[in-house]
Amino acid sequence: MSTNAPEFRLSGAHALAGIESALKSEFRLEEESETRFDHVYYDSFDWRLYQAGAYLRREFEKDRRHLIMSGLGDDSPKESVAFTGDMPRFYWDFPESVLKENISDILDIRALLPLFELRGVSRSFRMLDDARKTVLRVQLKQGSTYDAQGRMGTHVDGIVRLVPVRGYEKFLRKVSRFLTAEMELVAVTGSLFDELLASIGKVPSDYSSKLDFWFTPDMYSEAVARHIHLHLLDTIESNIPGTRDDLDSEFLHDLRVAVRRTRSALTQIKGVFPEDVVERFKPRLGWLGQITGPTRDMHVYLLAFEEYRDSLPERYRRDLDPLHRFLLVHQRTEHEKMVKQMESEEFLQTLADWRSYLVSPDPGASALPNTRSAVSETAGKRIYKIYSRVLDEGLAITDESPPESLHELRKNCKKLRYLIEFYRSIYPEKDVKPAIRALKILLDNLGLFQDLEVQALKLQEFAHQMGKEGEVPPDTLLAMGMLVDGLMKRQHQARHRFGQRFALFADKENRDHFKRMFSQGKVKQAA
Amino acid sequence: MRIIGVYNIKGGVGKTATAVNLAFLSAQEGHRTLIWDLDPQAAATFYLRVKPKIKGGSRKMFRGKRELDGLIKGTDFENLDLLPAEFSYRNMDLMLSERKKPARQLLRLLRPLSEQFDNVILDCPPNISLVSENIFRAADALLIPTIPGTLSIRAYHQLLDYLRENKVRGVDLMPFFSMVDRDKHLQAEVMQDMTASNPEMLSARIPYDGDVEKMGIHRAPVGEFAPQTNAWEAYRALWAEVVQRLK
Ligand SMILES: Nc1ncnc2c1ncn2[C@@H]1O[C@H](COP(=O)(O)OP(=O)(O)OP(=O)(O)O)[C@@H](O)[C@H]1O
Ligand SMILES: [Mg+2]
Repeated sequence: MSTNAPEFRLSGAHALAGIESALKSEFRLEEESETRFDHVYYDSFDWRLYQAGAYLRREFEKDRRHLIMSGLGDDSPKESVAFTGDMPRFYWDFPESVLKENISDILDIRALLPLFELRGVSRSFRMLDDARKTVLRVQLKQGSTYDAQGRMGTHVDGIVRLVPVRGYEKFLRKVSRFLTAEMELVAVTGSLFDELLASIGKVPSDYSSKLDFWFTPDMYSEAVARHIHLHLLDTIESNIPGTRDDLDSEFLHDLRVAVRRTRSALTQIKGVFPEDVVERFKPRLGWLGQITGPTRDMHVYLLAFEEYRDSLPERYRRDLDPLHRFLLVHQRTEHEKMVKQMESEEFLQTLADWRSYLVSPDPGASALPNTRSAVSETAGKRIYKIYSRVLDEGLAITDESPPESLHELRKNCKKLRYLIEFYRSIYPEKDVKPAIRALKILLDNLGLFQDLEVQALKLQEFAHQMGKEGEVPPDTLLAMGMLVDGLMKRQHQARHRFGQRFALFADKENRDHFKRMFSQGKVKQAA
Repeated sequence: MRIIGVYNIKGGVGKTATAVNLAFLSAQEGHRTLIWDLDPQAAATFYLRVKPKIKGGSRKMFRGKRELDGLIKGTDFENLDLLPAEFSYRNMDLMLSERKKPARQLLRLLRPLSEQFDNVILDCPPNISLVSENIFRAADALLIPTIPGTLSIRAYHQLLDYLRENKVRGVDLMPFFSMVDRDKHLQAEVMQDMTASNPEMLSARIPYDGDVEKMGIHRAPVGEFAPQTNAWEAYRALWAEVVQRLK
């Protein structure tokens, strides 16, 4: 287990049959099995396993189904577990095992989706010593890859794999030497996984919900803005199929974040798009946010449900069952409604129009003040302006201020955060990080304050809605009332902490830092 | 790393059969599993097709001059490794008594393996000795195969007395019925009585079954050569219950 299993690739000149007879004439091999194998490789849409240096494959061999997680570096199996029934989609569908524990941290709430399939024939031989003890396994494999739609990718000529048995490594060395010296095979270095991925045209890590731009300070502001928007539009579009098929809740979440960022960029990046273009697209993009909102709400409550339930004393927990059923039913109906909208002419046309605007030159834009100015000049100015607004608004908030003033502040903080994230790459990373961190502490507080309020109100709304739809047991309403109470208490605590959080954000050190970076334009120096 | 001892004061009750079969089940579930054959008779080592060590090295081991790590052998099964028995284990009592803290030597030796294995299963020799006291102190759980009969009940009580007198705590006792013969009516009565007075008794039972005996012919766990059988079903149920109890 601890030693890895070297693999040898057959080049065109060799035939697997030739290798087999050569090995047999030299060593005592006993055929263990000949199996058709069918391996499907999985990862989440955003490549979480790959990012963690691993991959997962489902093996069908004879009547056995296995899930095996391997390391990317050398394809060495790390954990495996047998399963019955359907392929697990989420970590919580896995049978209890070490693999489940490991994968839960990596996958979190994302679903496993098939990447490609490797089908073929594998013959396994045990190499025996004089006591007929297995001291090494030799596998001869041949197969082809297929993409998720079943199209063939490439033929894998032949692989000889040696699986050592602990304490008997000398046999591994013996056979390795024989294969390289006598048979002149070449040991595979690194992982086959990347090669197989490439064979069906997949590029690892081709999707991430994080923004990762590479702008330089001297780029034109308009080019940068178009680039930001095109990236966000790509994100929106690539999340549509998974949202429509409800593969997991993160598709819709990422889609909505990209819409929100788009809307923020559209209004916050000034002087690069003509006013009428901005006015035309603002409501249409806003509509994308509206039609996806109700389904997201249901996801939020379903994801938080266990936490809600566990926040109640044991004996009240079952009383929330009707709420859970309500959420499930409404999640389904809201999702259906949303899908209808997403298939509508208006939806498709909005995205098509937006893309066509972004990719074609706009003669009207050249008359605008900022199109041809370097992004280093426009970005900092805009960021500093919003930053100053945040400071002013925050300083004006006292213990008596109404909740709305905090909500308003949150809005501007978010604008500020998006702007900094868009332009992050033109600033030295070591300077951006503390700015974002300072902002995040404040935003977390404001976010909590508002989200808890919204959740409490929503629960109230649900209670009324449930009443309209049928009998609701009074115990259920009571339990929901307890939830609302808990949420409001926590909201109160968040409000209580605001002053201190804001003071941290607005302290002199941070103020100087923001000023240096954005007002005095401390951008990256050209290399 | 969880350490599970399979022990009974009495010999020939199915300890080794249990240790080998449960270790195989643990490995099949994906847990990195080690079975340590502590019995110089080397039955578990034999079942797993490994040669026992002839040359005595265990004194060096207890003196810390040789680590367990280098002695481990892969079996014919994935995730299942074996620490083979050594003939020098015959003198293990003596070697243990030469050490400081003689009752805690096994635990000391096993500790460095905790990163490598999820489950360690100890196949123990019968009798009460310094070796068995080491096992009691190292194990998280002690599986006690018990053939239903008055003698077995007495043996179990002897063990309980010993543990109490020597203040061994923190080990989860899991006695279960082994080699249960359905045709013997006396056994049924004994099992009822013993279950009633010992609630810690597991409910899974291993029948007396020819397939278990065949382990010696195949030199493999039952699940390897006879997976679709009553005997294997019984071991699976036993393992499931043990896992449940360990949680
Ligand atoms: N459930 C069973 N049905 C039939 N035979 C069994 C069963 N369990 C064990 N045996 C057989 O009984 C004999 C003793 O079993 P085993 O070696 O497992 O017991 P043990 O307690 O380890 O013995 P020892 O004390 O000698 O180490 C072996 O020949 C074994 O094949
Ligand atoms: Mg034995």
